[in-house]
Amino acid sequence: MRAGVADVNAVEVRALSYRYADGTKALRAVSLVVAEGERVGLVGPNGAGKSTLLLHLNGLLPERPSASPSVCVLGVPVAEPNLREIRARVGLLFQDPDDQLFCPTVWEDVAFGPQQLGVRGAALEERVARSLGQVGLAGFGERLPQHLSRGEKRRVCLAGLLACEARVLALDEPTSDLDPRGRRELKALLQALPVAQIIATHDLELVVETCARVVVLDRGAVVVEGPPTEVLADEARMLDLGLEKPHILRHRHPH
Amino acid sequence: MHDRLLSPYHPGGSRMHRMPAGLKAGGAAALVVAVVLLPRDAWAGYAACAAFLALVAALARIPGRVLARRILLLEPFVLGVAALSLAQQGGGRVFLAMLAKSTLCLCTMVLLSGTTRFSDLLRVLWRLRVPALLVTSLALMYRYLSVLMDEAARMTRARRSRTFSAGRGLAWRGSATVAAQLFVRSSERAERVYAAMCARGWRT
Repeated sequence: MRAGVADVNAVEVRALSYRYADGTKALRAVSLVVAEGERVGLVGPNGAGKSTLLLHLNGLLPERPSASPSVCVLGVPVAEPNLREIRARVGLLFQDPDDQLFCPTVWEDVAFGPQQLGVRGAALEERVARSLGQVGLAGFGERLPQHLSRGEKRRVCLAGLLACEARVLALDEPTSDLDPRGRRELKALLQALPVAQIIATHDLELVVETCARVVVLDRGAVVVEGPPTEVLADEARMLDLGLEKPHILRHRHPH
Repeated sequence: MHDRLLSPYHPGGSRMHRMPAGLKAGGAAALVVAVVLLPRDAWAGYAACAAFLALVAALARIPGRVLARRILLLEPFVLGVAALSLAQQGGGRVFLAMLAKSTLCLCTMVLLSGTTRFSDLLRVLWRLRVPALLVTSLALMYRYLSVLMDEAARMTRARRSRTFSAGRGLAWRGSATVAAQLFVRSSERAERVYAAMCARGWRT
């Protein structure tokens, strides 16, 4: 963290509301602050607004940017003139890796973001190689996305975000449909990345294991937030929200 | 089936494989034009082209079996077009010439795609300043064809697991539903892919 910007939060959401075109209210006055380098879990039942919130972080929603944006990333408001800068800073990991990997080869896909930012030649080569190395896929450049496993695809997606040198990662269900090894590797990777992360997930164990703070959303509003070991341990409330107390918090003996 | 169609590339390290993609694409295009321009009864010319292609196949170390299978897969289309000429007068010779010409062109393309990765061919098109929209469309099509085919296969399988009678009408209706569903899902996926592209700075 550079001196002078230490007091700027990675993400600041102030009283954000959003209504889909069909009238469904997806977010109701959501406020959320994430410090630089902090990992925050975002949990809640299906339809609680987790993905909708993530799409706001890099300006994909609302469709027409509002005049008074409720979201700030690293001190920069998410508004039309700043979108280029915002999208470079916020890496969005989509739920289905096949949506995110749209290039013919892994190399081209990882290079897509930096190319949009004007990185070319040796610098581009270096960035792509470094990002692939970071996710443990060095040498995968010439592989074709359709020949990768689910976990590998997810890691290529992540490399594509790291190649943009994103300082905030917004991850939508990063561990869904990963096998235990894929999940373990992804968890280790997320823990090793020194950038702010917002992890929307149903994987409550992941939240307990990786996040210092959890935010619970229900029907578009923040219900409660705090340390996962406290918030998620409240069994009655968890069941009421359609969630459950993570197994890892049930026993105090080592597994 | 799906793999054979979508991965025409036959991995290898032969001299043909290592040759620059642009050179191969240019050579293939030139050969196709030459074959098309050959007079109808120039059988010696056809033979010469065939011999050249055989040499290329040998240099590329692509087994004849693999080549034959790919050509047979595509040959019905050629036959369909060539058969139209049988209706006209003296159609027999036209038919044979068309068959020979299209088979030679087909072999050229099979050899090109067998020794050159599709992504390299796309880069050649890009360098040749083929309109970006066309190259992007080709790249996306190549990427998502397999995703779509997998999706269709999964839907068909799920459909079949719940189909108990063997009625043909029902089966047709089932296929129609799968096709319609596939269309809907594809357009939804297109929106998500576009969002993912924008998320990484496309058009901002």
